[in-house]
Amino acid sequence: MHTLLDVLASGVHDAKNQLFVAESLITAAETQYGVELGEARYAIEAAATRLSRTLAAYTLLREDAQPAITPVIVADLCAEVGLDQKKHLAAAGIELSQSCSVVDEWPLDRDLVTDMLNNAIQNAGRHARSRVHLDARLDAGWLVFSVEDDGPGFATLPPACGTGLTVAHRLAFLHRRQGREGSLQLSNGASLGGARFELRLP
Amino acid sequence: MSEYAKKRFLVIDDQPQARDALRTIAQTIGAFAVEFATNYQDAIYRIRNNVPDIILCDYVLGEGRSGQQLLEELRRFNLLADESIFMMVTGEQSYEQVVSAVELVPDDYIIKPFSPDKLVLRLDRIMAKKEFFKEYYQEKRKKEYAAALAILEAQRNSEAGRPYRFEILRQRAEVLLNSGDSEGAEQAYRGILENYEFPWARAGVARSLHRQNKLSEARSEIDRVVASTPHFFDAADLKANICMAQGEHAEAQQILDDVAKKTPRNYQRKRLLAEAATLNGDTETACAIMADVVANDTMPGAVTPEDRLALARSQVDANDLISAEKTLVGLKESEMQNLDLDAQASYAALLAISSPGRGKPRFAGLRPAMMSAQLATNSRLDILRSALALGDHELADHQAKALLEGEEAKRSFGAMRKQYALHGREQDFRNIQKRVALKRIHHDEAPKPSA
Repeated sequence: MHTLLDVLASGVHDAKNQLFVAESLITAAETQYGVELGEARYAIEAAATRLSRTLAAYTLLREDAQPAITPVIVADLCAEVGLDQKKHLAAAGIELSQSCSVVDEWPLDRDLVTDMLNNAIQNAGRHARSRVHLDARLDAGWLVFSVEDDGPGFATLPPACGTGLTVAHRLAFLHRRQGREGSLQLSNGASLGGARFELRLP
Repeated sequence: MSEYAKKRFLVIDDQPQARDALRTIAQTIGAFAVEFATNYQDAIYRIRNNVPDIILCDYVLGEGRSGQQLLEELRRFNLLADESIFMMVTGEQSYEQVVSAVELVPDDYIIKPFSPDKLVLRLDRIMAKKEFFKEYYQEKRKKEYAAALAILEAQRNSEAGRPYRFEILRQRAEVLLNSGDSEGAEQAYRGILENYEFPWARAGVARSLHRQNKLSEARSEIDRVVASTPHFFDAADLKANICMAQGEHAEAQQILDDVAKKTPRNYQRKRLLAEAATLNGDTETACAIMADVVANDTMPGAVTPEDRLALARSQVDANDLISAEKTLVGLKESEMQNLDLDAQASYAALLAISSPGRGKPRFAGLRPAMMSAQLATNSRLDILRSALALGDHELADHQAKALLEGEEAKRSFGAMRKQYALHGREQDFRNIQKRVALKRIHHDEAPKPSA
């Protein structure tokens, strides 16, 4: 009954529980001593995210991978990504701005799409000079998320395809609806002048 | 002051460290009143006594229980008002797979670790949503279905309702199903499926078709759901129910046996398994499972007189008449007084076999009602068996005819035939069958009144 996936999932689960305890201790210390330890909490959450991502990568690359699709309020998702990344980027002198013109719910895998956008923003933040922008809009029946920065752009196009990107392409592709499937496009020359990450979901 | 200062929180987690962590987070967002529950029973006890405003429940509760099972049980016993917030807390991504498939979902779930800010963001949104649906919840609770539907209809077309479009459609389909409009519910679920292939909506179609007694259609819909989402256990239950209605009892038992192994403390599912085993003629399994349910389902009020009747039925099936008598006589006086006619009839019928001295007079006293009233399938089968054993052909044949004419004919067919065969009356049973079939043909051929 115990497959490799069960073993991995159980290990990740236990580690994340420990990280949660660590984060709550930091939270308690912040209250007790009146200090701001946001970066320490960010580091803990980033470690947990890495663990989740590893597990998600393993799951998604399997033949029978299925995203967990629920109706999601797109504006809420963007707000959450902003909450996750804004302070951290600000600490590095980079401003994260957002625009979301989508009012309705959209069927998508909330956790994995959130993580993909977090990842895209982290990448953009590493190369940006001072700005990263997250946008969500509807385009002819597609939901389009984009992340742009004002850095130098991708050195090669398409960029070298690492594990992260392979998983991202796969996740986009697994979003299928009414005979259409999602896709991921990376390009240069965005409105901010740097790289542009675009996720299109049916 | 935070608006969460006035809310009563309940944190449910079997791990002390994780409990403390959740309390810290709750206190950081302003909560004063944070109660703990350390396990499943404790959680139910506390919620029953004093419903919290906000429940933070870990998905893994130990002892083979999950937060999802707790949520289902709370809904089943109507312990959780729509206004209360139930937030599942989980370290595993796999819970997302559950939420995306099942019909019964929490208000939201949050993945550990998370910051107090994130919890606030999530809770704020749920409160906004509860506010939006406030009037609808009131009508729903009063079972004022038409009023509830009218509210949803108005919200569906409103600008403010746009972020809740799917939730409105989902609630609408559920209300239609609960109000008895199975055809309307089917259409509502199909409308959702045009948007996206949600497993819960496909299961809703199957459920609606089952209620319309369109069994083979229901079966092919639910087969799709079960094949694509093996972790959607309620869909397996529904499939088993449809199989039983189709008379495929062996398959129903197999399905339930597989799922019950994965949910060892789900006693509702075990009841269903015992029912399938009974219909399948596997008396040993039925006996063992019902004994387990009666002994171990420790929720107050969970073990009903119907459960004891089911246990006695399986004991009579197994020809263990002494145990059956003990089970029946063990029913409390207060329970006896509140039995409905179905349960009274089953009680008398089972007692007439296991303890003729006491049971026969009671059975005879109910005979006029048994000859005239509308009764549930299980009760009719119990009566049929006792009537055959007592040589009351008229009473037995009346039940057989009613069952064969009813919507659950396939479900009860095997059991009926077996009882008639046991008393050497196969030919009589075939004759009843023929008469019912002829009557049905006549009925179908009769010209429909013109519109």
